[in-house]
Amino acid sequence: MKRSNKNSGGDGRNGRGASAARKESKSNGRADASSRFYGLPLPGVKLEDLGGSLIVLEGSDGSGRSTQISLLTEWLESQGFAVQTMGLRRSFLVGENIDALLEENAVTRMTLALMYSTDFFDQLERRILPALRSGLVVLADRYIFTLIARSAVRGIGRDYLHGIYEMALRPDLTFWLNVRPEIAFDREFKKAHSISYWESGRDMSLSNDLFQSFIRYQSMIKREFEYLSNRHGFVEVDGEGSVSEVNRVLRKRIAAQLGIRGTHYHPSNALSHLWR
Amino acid sequence: MATVIPEIPTSSEAPLEKAVAPKRPYPGALIVVEGIDGSGKSTQLYLLKRWLEIGGYRIHFTEWNSSPLVKSATRRGKQRRLLTPVTFSLLHAADFADRCERQIMPLLHGGYLVLADRYIYTAFARDAARGCSPKWLRNLYSFAPIPDITFYFRAPLDVAVNRIVAGRPKLKYYEAGMDLGISLDRAESFRIFQERILNNYDQMVETDRFVLMDGTVRVNKLQKLMRGIVEERIKLDQFAPKKKRHEAKQ
Repeated sequence: MKRSNKNSGGDGRNGRGASAARKESKSNGRADASSRFYGLPLPGVKLEDLGGSLIVLEGSDGSGRSTQISLLTEWLESQGFAVQTMGLRRSFLVGENIDALLEENAVTRMTLALMYSTDFFDQLERRILPALRSGLVVLADRYIFTLIARSAVRGIGRDYLHGIYEMALRPDLTFWLNVRPEIAFDREFKKAHSISYWESGRDMSLSNDLFQSFIRYQSMIKREFEYLSNRHGFVEVDGEGSVSEVNRVLRKRIAAQLGIRGTHYHPSNALSHLWR
Repeated sequence: MATVIPEIPTSSEAPLEKAVAPKRPYPGALIVVEGIDGSGKSTQLYLLKRWLEIGGYRIHFTEWNSSPLVKSATRRGKQRRLLTPVTFSLLHAADFADRCERQIMPLLHGGYLVLADRYIYTAFARDAARGCSPKWLRNLYSFAPIPDITFYFRAPLDVAVNRIVAGRPKLKYYEAGMDLGISLDRAESFRIFQERILNNYDQMVETDRFVLMDGTVRVNKLQKLMRGIVEERIKLDQFAPKKKRHEAKQ
């Protein structure tokens, strides 16, 4: 399998500040809690007791994120790690409100961006931070990077977006499951027999042809991810490989992060249907 | 206490610069009122609105926290006390964004005089009192157009607090700042919270060019003053009712 893992250090090949902060926190022996945020920490959050690990999977629809998260959860649990998951639109506060907004054509880009950020921070404060305090491994099915990319291609400033998310927690590992838009299209169509309005960027009037619209939109998102990957030091994984191949790459990298010795894994009967 | 990592820059300075020399790429105008609860701002804006309405001017009135798309989420969050300082702030920003993108901006481009009861300064004063970083808040609202006039109604804390406490059976949880755990007594919590907000407002008078209005002045006298300032600063002619084509010819 061709592996486009440009980054072996995990964080900040290009991010000057990030790598500096990393070195600094490592020299203190234990990670300095405030360096776990991009900028200012969240107001009212006690930082001293944040343990656990935050592992992010990013990638377009059809890149295999959800499948991999199911498999990784089982593997980690078999290794004795408790897992908490998060994803977009899953907050108790506004998850369902966003679902409803997406059904309407009334919603505009800035409103949607800020509803998603509300959804994100609600999950961060109520689900992720408590989980990390209890020493859990958090697996995030998409993170701030998808939200930044989607808004950035719609013309909202990158600095503005990074400013909103400066109170987000810096992941310990961010994987980017990279697939070509054409492959993502095939996989999505096979799964749903249609292409989602938002995933094809139809609000952006790119093309009346849905295939063209999807490809152009996903290409724009992909360019944004290339920028984000440089800035934040993603671990790029070739998402076009088979499920088991991709899973092996992820396991190896996560095992190194968490100090797990063996990376052998075969899914249980409950998940064997995913093992293609 | 926090190390600010330079990796993510924020445009905190930009809004202040804009406040000094606003660029207005639209023919409309924006008048906003700000001030703590009980300062008399809503009464005064209502009277200003009536004056302009009766005169037939092209105006639109918008108030804080009223977007139909976002309102139900905010209401639920408040009722069930789910909101933290950050999600409280973001939900109100989403509400504002919806009104900004679907009402305020199109109307300013369409040449309307827009009247806003509370604006971004409410968020700056209130969310900062909840512990959000002022720099973060400035960035969050940096998409908002800068008002042509910002009236800041200022009444002494006791006057404002008594007006609210006397008129309301019970102060609401977030309204009283109960989420901050300042005091278990609602009235006392409300007072301390309002005091913090008042201090934050006061600090913006110069940086954001507020027009200071004394909230203890009699209602009709204060309204006369307000109308005078509007006439002086806004070319009201351009919002006057358009003459019908055949009338204009005559």
